[in-house]
Amino acid sequence: MNESEAKLILDKVLGSADADAVVVGLGGGTEASTRFADNLITQNVYQNNVSLRVSCAYGESHGSAVTNDLGDESLKNVVQRAQEIAKVSPPDPEYMPPVEAAETAKYPEVKSYCESTLGYDPMSKAKDIAAAAKTVAAKNLRLSGAYGTDYGFSAVANSDGLRAYHRSTGAEIHATVLSPTGSGWAEKMSNDSADIEVEKVVGEALRIGENSQDPQDSEAGKYTVILRPAALAEMLMFMFWGGFDAKATDEGRTFLRGKLGTKVCGDNVTLRSDPSEKRCPGNPFQGDGMVSPALNWLKDGVVENLAYSRYWAKKQGKKPTGMPSNIIMDGGGKSVDELVAGTDRGILVTRFWYIRFVDPMVPLVTGMTRDGLFMIEGGKVTKPIRHMRFNEKLLDVLGRITELGEPERTGEYISMLVPTVKIRDFNFTSTTKF
Amino acid sequence: MKDLCLHALDVAKGKGATYADARIVRLRNQYIMTEDERVSGIQDSDSIGIGVRVIADGAWGFAASAILDKGEVERVASQAVEIARASALAKAPDGLKWAEEPVHEGVFKTPVKKDPFTVPLEAKINLLMAANKEILNVAGVKKAHSHMRFIGEHRYLANTEGSMIESETTTSTATIQATAVSDETAKSRYFEAHPMNIGYEHIEATPLVAEATRVGEEAVAQLTGKPCPVGKKDLVLHPSHLALTMHESIGHATELDRVLGMEESLAGSSFATIDFLGNLKYGAPIMNIVCDNAMPFGLASRGWDDDCVEGQRWNVIKDGILVDYQTGREVCHAIDAKRSRGSCRADSWASIPIVRQSNIGLEPGKEDLTLDELIADTKDGIYIEGMGSFSIDQKRQNFQFGGDCFWEIKDGKKGAILKDVTYQAITTEFWGSLDAICDKRFWTPHGVLNCGKGDPMQVARMSHGSAPARFRQINVGGATK
Repeated sequence: MNESEAKLILDKVLGSADADAVVVGLGGGTEASTRFADNLITQNVYQNNVSLRVSCAYGESHGSAVTNDLGDESLKNVVQRAQEIAKVSPPDPEYMPPVEAAETAKYPEVKSYCESTLGYDPMSKAKDIAAAAKTVAAKNLRLSGAYGTDYGFSAVANSDGLRAYHRSTGAEIHATVLSPTGSGWAEKMSNDSADIEVEKVVGEALRIGENSQDPQDSEAGKYTVILRPAALAEMLMFMFWGGFDAKATDEGRTFLRGKLGTKVCGDNVTLRSDPSEKRCPGNPFQGDGMVSPALNWLKDGVVENLAYSRYWAKKQGKKPTGMPSNIIMDGGGKSVDELVAGTDRGILVTRFWYIRFVDPMVPLVTGMTRDGLFMIEGGKVTKPIRHMRFNEKLLDVLGRITELGEPERTGEYISMLVPTVKIRDFNFTSTTKF
Repeated sequence: MKDLCLHALDVAKGKGATYADARIVRLRNQYIMTEDERVSGIQDSDSIGIGVRVIADGAWGFAASAILDKGEVERVASQAVEIARASALAKAPDGLKWAEEPVHEGVFKTPVKKDPFTVPLEAKINLLMAANKEILNVAGVKKAHSHMRFIGEHRYLANTEGSMIESETTTSTATIQATAVSDETAKSRYFEAHPMNIGYEHIEATPLVAEATRVGEEAVAQLTGKPCPVGKKDLVLHPSHLALTMHESIGHATELDRVLGMEESLAGSSFATIDFLGNLKYGAPIMNIVCDNAMPFGLASRGWDDDCVEGQRWNVIKDGILVDYQTGREVCHAIDAKRSRGSCRADSWASIPIVRQSNIGLEPGKEDLTLDELIADTKDGIYIEGMGSFSIDQKRQNFQFGGDCFWEIKDGKKGAILKDVTYQAITTEFWGSLDAICDKRFWTPHGVLNCGKGDPMQVARMSHGSAPARFRQINVGGATK
């Protein structure tokens, strides 16, 4: 849906509401995903959907309703439902009026829309995947994974006159190559499908898969580790799920309580957000129309900002930030090979799996390694080893980073740019059977 | 709606599909959230659309749209066939094997006494607020959260074999949670009207307000609880906890698509491979794991699955031995099964059906045994209620679980509250240590609403019932080593 089509619907909804304040969000698009396993295409799907959210307020009583039916009758119904909910809701002391129209002047320019991604159709995708599967099958190995492309738009309008629209495309492939006793994994994501070379990604998974065959016994304990970006990114998400919410932090319910302005990890750790970052662009605005944050969360190991809602910022006399639309960790200049060469004894981790909080107040997290775990001895990768579970204190881990490599785009839940890192004394607590 | 489904099938057949199914689903969600003395959010969403799945040129295609008119349905059905033809570039040389199933026509409805979507919002808000108030009255509690969630799914499903089914399911749940804060840390405790396919009568029958003070007190007690010991302990696990342990270590491990490697790149595979069928000692001889998609109030009970297969009841583990899997029509041939077990579901009209966990649970013990008697019979152990931290490897072997609240058991007595308990095990070793299960009076169907699987990710719900059970000499405390 283009900007003028979205505006027509948003204006229609705004015009039919009689609440004191109204905010309307409209988002949607198309998603096409081709999934493969055992060198075959096993699933090939396409969907086209929209979501219209109407939020209404009478005084401080508010409510919202959502529909995906943009027919006239449905639009009337969704407004009516939102208004009915608002009317029976008790006044909310944390209610905030709509974002002012002038907020749009703060939006950064974000280029994340590529026509070439839209033109990459299921047949082209299937041809690329079939060719890669043939390469893997020729080695008697098994390729699985998925290649998804999408087009999305988001638009916001409110009764204060704010109007916002943004569109983007995305392409993401991840591939696993299975050998009889091991597996390898690789991924690539971009807004432009032209950036993605299927053979190259599958080739990397194949290399790791072949090298991971016949893993040797591993032994739990503390090791120097080299975490590839996907592994570190998965851990970093737990910083944001658990820590940076300002209200919860100020109320003593997160691990960053009392830590604003203090050093919590190493000098070499800077975590920031910037929706205009070309290597992992985010959305320029948030669901209510507020600009997405461009700021440091951690700067040289010091907690520089927390995530303030508009209400909590007003109460605490701070500037509202909202939640990040992307996460960037600054890196160094070393390649993975250079990091390995400088390691006398350690473990190379391709990625993690199933990380969860054990105690979010520490924060202590646990998880497993997956798809390629290798011993490093004398500056060289010497052998694959069986996978292990870790239990680690997240801030301590970020305090034990000794070297940083080049950042790469990754992120399962949010667009991220994260380097490969070397960490000392990483705590593996048990082994598994493969 | 039925006419639109049939029209989609006609178009797909006309374009060359050898099999097609069309599913129109309306999905309603109401989610009411509160924080302390305020309503922090009410989400009321409604989504409708059609998904058309086809086999053409011996390969799968699927397309879906939110627009329900004849022209769009024709476009979607045609697109599904085109996509299948693309899939055929990398298809199985001997073609898809699609298990036979009788033609079904019928209507299934969750038995609901009180439709949650017609209960006034004020009543729901008042109930949650009353619980929050009780929680906040407990000294040491700093935060009360509570929520109610209702899901309504109305589905029309037709296939080219002649099946035409309709289902209306209703899911209801509510949770209250207390958070206590000290100078050192914060601890939470929850209580729920566990999720079931049932009406609002379930919420009214659950003592959310009456339990609120206890919930608050147990959150506070955890602040100063004794730390988790390190070593081996007997574990007595309540059904509210065991539900997640079963989900992770049995439910996922016995999904046949995972076993075959079809989920390898995302959710993972399984150690319980086909060569183990009929001979893997999954657990102790008293371990009987039953799947039941016809179970009253089960979160996965919907008459027929999205392959149009009737809901069934069967053992995947019998007397401790792996004897079957959870299957769909596409995969059951791999174990020479003539008929699918009916475990294929999609999370919306926009998603393709995939093998999903059934309502899967542990059968109760055959001898009379109460929870009090089980604890009285335990010399040195830990009793765990509720779900907490959970992590398991992608083949479902090495796991580590926490919980929501923990008590020491010493010489047959439930003692002081512990904090930060975790236990670690290998799946078959853990289930091999099962030595006692309370009887059927104590069997309750807990479950999950947020099971993630598939790529693109789908979120499904299923019940996991059990009675309290005991596991001998399990490693605890390893997380803090």
